[in-house]
Amino acid sequence: MSVLLVSKWAALAGLVICVAGLGLRWRRSMARARPRDLAPARGSGMAGVAYAFTAGMMPWAKESTRHHWIAYLRGIGFHVGIFIGLPLVAANPWWGLLPNGPRLGLGTLLGLCAVLGAAGIVMRIREPILRTLSTADDYVAIVLVSAFLAFEAAALVSFAWMSVMYLAVGILLAYIPLGKIRHCLYFFFARAFFGQFVGRRAVIHPQLRVASPAMRAGEARR
Amino acid sequence: MSDKSRTVLDLKGLLCPMPVVKLALAMKTIPVGAIIEATASDPGVVADIPAWARSSGNELVTLDKVADKEFRFVVKRLK
Amino acid sequence: MSDMVETALGVFERQLGRPLEAALEVCARCGVCAEACHYFQAEPTVENTPVARGEALRRVYRAEHDFLGRIAPWWVGAERLDEASLTRLAETAFSRCTLCRRCTFNCPLGVDTPLMMRAVRAMATAAGVAPEILVMLADAAIEKGRSPEIFRDLFIEQMTDLEPELRQVTGNPQARLSVERPGARVLYVALAGVHTILPPAIIFTAAGEDWTLSLFEAANYGVFLADPGRAKQIAARIVDEAKGLGVEEVVLAECGHAYAALRWEAPTWFGGSFPFRVVSLVEKIDTYLTQGRLNLDPRAVRERVTYHDSCNMARSGGVIEEPRRVLRAIAPDFVEMTPNRHEALCCGGGGGLVALPEYEDLRLRAGKPKADQVRRTGARTVVAACENCRLQLGDLNRHYGLEVEISAVADLVVRAMRPADLNEEAVSVRAEAIAA
Repeated sequence: MSVLLVSKWAALAGLVICVAGLGLRWRRSMARARPRDLAPARGSGMAGVAYAFTAGMMPWAKESTRHHWIAYLRGIGFHVGIFIGLPLVAANPWWGLLPNGPRLGLGTLLGLCAVLGAAGIVMRIREPILRTLSTADDYVAIVLVSAFLAFEAAALVSFAWMSVMYLAVGILLAYIPLGKIRHCLYFFFARAFFGQFVGRRAVIHPQLRVASPAMRAGEARR
Repeated sequence: MSDKSRTVLDLKGLLCPMPVVKLALAMKTIPVGAIIEATASDPGVVADIPAWARSSGNELVTLDKVADKEFRFVVKRLK
Repeated sequence: MSDMVETALGVFERQLGRPLEAALEVCARCGVCAEACHYFQAEPTVENTPVARGEALRRVYRAEHDFLGRIAPWWVGAERLDEASLTRLAETAFSRCTLCRRCTFNCPLGVDTPLMMRAVRAMATAAGVAPEILVMLADAAIEKGRSPEIFRDLFIEQMTDLEPELRQVTGNPQARLSVERPGARVLYVALAGVHTILPPAIIFTAAGEDWTLSLFEAANYGVFLADPGRAKQIAARIVDEAKGLGVEEVVLAECGHAYAALRWEAPTWFGGSFPFRVVSLVEKIDTYLTQGRLNLDPRAVRERVTYHDSCNMARSGGVIEEPRRVLRAIAPDFVEMTPNRHEALCCGGGGGLVALPEYEDLRLRAGKPKADQVRRTGARTVVAACENCRLQLGDLNRHYGLEVEISAVADLVVRAMRPADLNEEAVSVRAEAIAA
């Protein structure tokens, strides 16, 4: 069995662990109670959720990201790399069909994203507050993702790195349900809850305020 | 002004819940059986003090309006 | 494991629904929330970051629910709860977080740190390590609901004593300050204290409202304890009273947490919406203005005025534009603080902190960013639609020498009433009444 084949099997095993682990966590989360908000809405929960996943994620939407836009864009760039990099591994059998230009372009992009990840490691070590709050999990998570992006970038430039890339992605995928990277799953929950909250209460978009049946009834009675 | 058995508290000018808060803190400093005599200007005390006394297991001895916007009450520490 | 810890963990497990789990799991510890917190702005230390507060509970969560947390606690920073760590957690949740939600709004992932701090407050309350004063105030409020006969007559007598003043100020000989009058359209729930009764009474009378006063106060200390049992019992006094009187609307005094509790939380505690609307007095005044039911002098408040957004009214309540519309109608020199609305800085008095003398020093230090913000506006009057905010702003005013007046929206509205709404001869009486 070739090294490449072994590494592919490792990646597949990692994928199985990842899917099974996140699936279990998903099931466990869905089994948990979700307290229903029975107060008459003042605004639209759906509009709030839409905001939370779109305009609310823009760097100018929050004071924190307006003040720290470089750090925020670093994080966004790093995550864009992940969202491009992982599907690209699945598309590996067709890499050979890509002309050199786009392939090297993708490699450069992922390489940059890996550098952004490495910058995150440096930030975490250099900033006293982040350093105090960080655990081994925080460092391992960012090292695994950055390494995967770097090896995938290298593999796009030279196919000789392919087995290393598969090994890196296998380890990364297996670690996802165990450590902090599983926030990828809870991100959707947290943003949705936030969106529901600000939407129903018409906090961000007072102009989207709706009259609830109780409110309409109250107005009509007056 | 206070001795072992009687403490005087001036709660005038305080808005609720501060009269109850100050009274409760003062209550901890006196022995069981001792009393606190207090004056307050917030009419909220007419509801808050009797309820506090009952829920905290102490005795409200008297509570009277002695002048316009001036209430006087006496509470005894029971436990 | 001691009984105290077991109780706290039991409460934690019951709190651990999907929203709390998401808040515990989603944090990437990027630290971007730090500067959103007024505690951190005042004193930039690790323990003043929202992420550190969240981590304190996450360590316990990981020890109970995380695979790596159980087999290699050091790897993920897991820690079993014990009495010492529970006490530290409680101290953090009650003294270093006002539940203002500013961190949540500034978090790229939406980590709900206040939800975690509420969970800790609930654990501490159940385990008996919550601040004694808050427990005492909540229990006294519950006792009022159980035994209203112990104060009803004296309370009604006090309100009857206010009627001549109300009639004199409004120039309306029919003006009444009734308590629990059946058939009234509106039930107004004040705070304990005449300062939240007389100005609204003047406004209701001027607007021709058919209203009556609640026997109870709007404040709900059960909310600060994160104790749904106590909070529900306190709210039930008003809910039952409103149902019994058959009112169409419950209008709450200018009190942030009371509004967030009865408007947004209570329907869930009671299992459904109420047969009456719940609105804030500020919303009501705004409605009266829109309907032309108040005749206000648009230049009445000549000094520079600014508005402080109570976190419960704005970020947790959505009452953001209403007070501004009212203030713009009476104060030509109305200026905004920066930042404002849902980005407003917490004053530092929320979460029950103004009632806790043991944290006074910390509270005043944490209020410095708000004090600086007020100073930058150059305003002479700071308006807030929340009693706790007004108490804190008053303390900040004295502590930092701001030389401003702190006012409720209703107080300024009464100041701006024109003779058509108000007896002209009674202006001095009115001023005294507001000052009192």
